[in-house]
Amino acid sequence: MSPTQSPMFSGMGQAVRIATDLLASLIVGGVLGWLVDTYLLSSGPWGIVVGLMFGLAAGVRNAYRAAQRWGPDDTKL
Amino acid sequence: MDDPLHPFELHALIPLSLFGLDISINKAVLTMWVVVAVVVGLLWRAGSQAGLVPTKLQSLAELLIDFIRGIIHDTMGKDGMRFFPLISTLFLFILFSNLLGLIPGSYTVTSQIIVTGVFAVGVYVLSLVVGFKLHGAKFFGILVPPGTPGWLLPLMVPIELISQLARPISLAVRLFANMTAGHVILGVLFGLAISGGLLIGWLPFSFTIALYGLEVGIAFIQAYIFTILTCVYMGDAMHLH
Repeated sequence: MSPTQSPMFSGMGQAVRIATDLLASLIVGGVLGWLVDTYLLSSGPWGIVVGLMFGLAAGVRNAYRAAQRWGPDDTKL
Repeated sequence: MDDPLHPFELHALIPLSLFGLDISINKAVLTMWVVVAVVVGLLWRAGSQAGLVPTKLQSLAELLIDFIRGIIHDTMGKDGMRFFPLISTLFLFILFSNLLGLIPGSYTVTSQIIVTGVFAVGVYVLSLVVGFKLHGAKFFGILVPPGTPGWLLPLMVPIELISQLARPISLAVRLFANMTAGHVILGVLFGLAISGGLLIGWLPFSFTIALYGLEVGIAFIQAYIFTILTCVYMGDAMHLH
């Protein structure tokens, strides 16, 4: 059995991975929005609002993709 | 009781500076040397007495190498074996620094975000270099998921850009946070056991032992996660979609 399919590793791996991916995308989105706000456009809070939304979308998309990749019946790898 | 983050502070043992850069030798640097020495020593010993009937050490080394090869084959395919030296070095270094850090009194190098950050950013930049070298300007297509209709592009490109930028950050923070948090919890519980005395101290002490076992598992899992995500990112760069 290959290591990526062994139940303990892939289960724990998936769980640990998705949580931080969600958070990191949210942070990156927020920081990018804040940078646009402060240094580029001085556009008030709107950069950070839009940035956080994009970050959330990116995080959910990452989590979705990770789940798709390591799903039980998937052979995409 | 000490501040639980106290063990993570670094102080220069041998102050050195090179052109104004602080390159002092501290506990973390020394521990990294020890980790490298242990890994090299173990593999050297395992390889030097290699035979058709493997010794215990040799079969352990073969198991590890086979494990890494499995990861690479699963994520990058056969041509990913080009990166085998890099991936195996990364895996063995992280695994052994996690494990050696669990010896009481030693230091966990991977609990410093600068160490994990350099690994993560280095690996990510390398994957970008590989991608641009293989695909040229077409590599920007990684920002467009396959099958995206044209009118969605202004929405999808920022999302993909953010998820790309989040990769090195989540890679670095995951390893750093897991190792630091685990050691802080162990330290706090053991401190409770010491200050609790015999009457009640056995309770946090037994938790310390249970969590120590968990930490050994986490040391393996985090090394594995770091390695497999490195492979996944490399694979994404090599096989565009």
